[in-house]
Amino acid sequence: MTSLDTRLFGFLACLWGGLLIYFYHSTRIRDYLDIGFHHFIMIGGIGMLILGAYSLINPKSKSNKTEKSKSCCHDHGDHDGDQHPHDHNDCHDHGDHCHHDHEEGHGPFITIFLTLTPLILAMTYTQDKLSNGGMAKKGLYEKPALTSANLPPFTRQDLEKNVPKNEHGEFQLRMISAYYAAGDLEIQDIFEGLPVELEGRIAPEKINNASGDRLRIFRSIITCCAADLQIVGVSLEFPEEANRPQVEDWVKASGTLTFETVEDDVLPLLKIREVIPAEEPYSEFRRRQ
Amino acid sequence: MTQERQDQLADGSYEFLAIFLEGLPFIFLGTLVSGFLGTYLPRGAFAKILPKNNTLAVLISGLLGAVFPVCECAVVPVIRRLVKNGLPVSCALAYMLAAPIFNPVTAISTYKAFNNSPEIAISRLAMGYMIAVFIALIVARKTHSFFLKSSVKTENGDEHHHPRNLNAALNNSLRDLMDVGLYFCIGVVLTAILKTTVIDPTDDFWKELANNSIVGSIGMMFLAFVLSLCSTSDAFIAANFHNFKYGPKLAFMVFGPMMDAKLIFLYSTVFKWKFILFLFVAIFILTGALSILFETKILPGWMSQQTEIPLAP
Repeated sequence: MTSLDTRLFGFLACLWGGLLIYFYHSTRIRDYLDIGFHHFIMIGGIGMLILGAYSLINPKSKSNKTEKSKSCCHDHGDHDGDQHPHDHNDCHDHGDHCHHDHEEGHGPFITIFLTLTPLILAMTYTQDKLSNGGMAKKGLYEKPALTSANLPPFTRQDLEKNVPKNEHGEFQLRMISAYYAAGDLEIQDIFEGLPVELEGRIAPEKINNASGDRLRIFRSIITCCAADLQIVGVSLEFPEEANRPQVEDWVKASGTLTFETVEDDVLPLLKIREVIPAEEPYSEFRRRQ
Repeated sequence: MTQERQDQLADGSYEFLAIFLEGLPFIFLGTLVSGFLGTYLPRGAFAKILPKNNTLAVLISGLLGAVFPVCECAVVPVIRRLVKNGLPVSCALAYMLAAPIFNPVTAISTYKAFNNSPEIAISRLAMGYMIAVFIALIVARKTHSFFLKSSVKTENGDEHHHPRNLNAALNNSLRDLMDVGLYFCIGVVLTAILKTTVIDPTDDFWKELANNSIVGSIGMMFLAFVLSLCSTSDAFIAANFHNFKYGPKLAFMVFGPMMDAKLIFLYSTVFKWKFILFLFVAIFILTGALSILFETKILPGWMSQQTEIPLAP
């Protein structure tokens, strides 16, 4: 690499590092990655800034100088484990330059262009969240997977022991528990008719909503990044007199949990008693347990 | 632009940034390690460490993910430098393909995703290991010129008078970061485009594939290729394809960490494109065949020993 190449690559490393630091510092990272990955972003960003700054300040490594002044001459076409076809210690001269390119790769201009263009476009157009259509692809309107063997037994006593209640005596159930209960007859029996409170974001309802009296409450489940996002939701049925939240609102929805069969699929349904606004958490992703 | 197109553009940008931000620190870590290994590791050091018997060396290399767990993004730059430093390509390939699957993090996440079922986790690890080692043993019989890019071929002999100092190590790291980062970025762009415009895993098309194990396995491998998920998280996604049987789910979890839309571009920093095509076909056939074998021969035996919880009507 020439000094200019190294400086340009160093500049690009600084930009990438700066991007990571920006996402971390602005807390926008919470909309993209699980909270457990946030410190990797900061460490990676600082590391790339240091590497980039070092290359900007000190672009001419000793290895560059040495390689320019030395020539090499051997063939690399061997098999795994085979001996090299000829002796390098007695290196024969082929001229002033190497036969092969030690550092093939692309030049800095094409690397800068091909990496910064999608980054700038993505930064311009991202909404830091998925559209309703995007969320639908992540399972917002999907029925829960049916459970298989090896689940430990779950009883009403387990529910009373492990799930806290609000001031109205309603179980503050996790969304994922209400959702997956629809795939397990044993848990359905325990949850049927249960007074519960669910916390999450509101989306429009597209299932069994001909009368328009329904919305959907959902949470996003994540392991690493938004690419592995899975959205679990529960249908909310409102009585006529109940106040209705707006789509995108973050709420606590209280009522009676039940299950309905729609086109042969069993789905969870919360018959609303009341919906109150809730404070949005730092990250709306819930980590998979 | 229609609202649908605007949503696709926004969703694609979101997906791109999510994968890019998640992967970049690990790529950086990988290139930092590769830069220092390339500078300080003596040429031919592996000849002293690995068994002389090539088959045994490959078998051991395939297990190294259990000791040195790395994700599929970080492993590529490391492998690139190690091959330059004399690690036999067959061993490098066995480690590169097996490590994202045959490691404790992936094992635990698979175990948890499938309701604490050890059978699925063990099957996944075993299948990943077998495929990686089998391909590596085939590769051991080929000349380097068949698959390696000229810039990656082993530097033997007089050590090229490369200095061993911090300056050279950082220079190597920067060069690796730029090479791998570029292809990673291109791969993530392709992934984001495919995910937002072509693939909808909730579409009826995918659900109907579930009726047949062979077609289901092929479909799930294609889906894994496009979704480009991290091997530590893909089990949770696979587990939620409730229409599919275990065979196609295994195909999804084994094929994806070895070959996906972003990985083919990362692989292209080490291998020639014709070899990547060979790798794709080989992994595709082996994964498909083993997952169908698992579905039809192995799984029924396991299931008969377990008590099924009745499913919802």
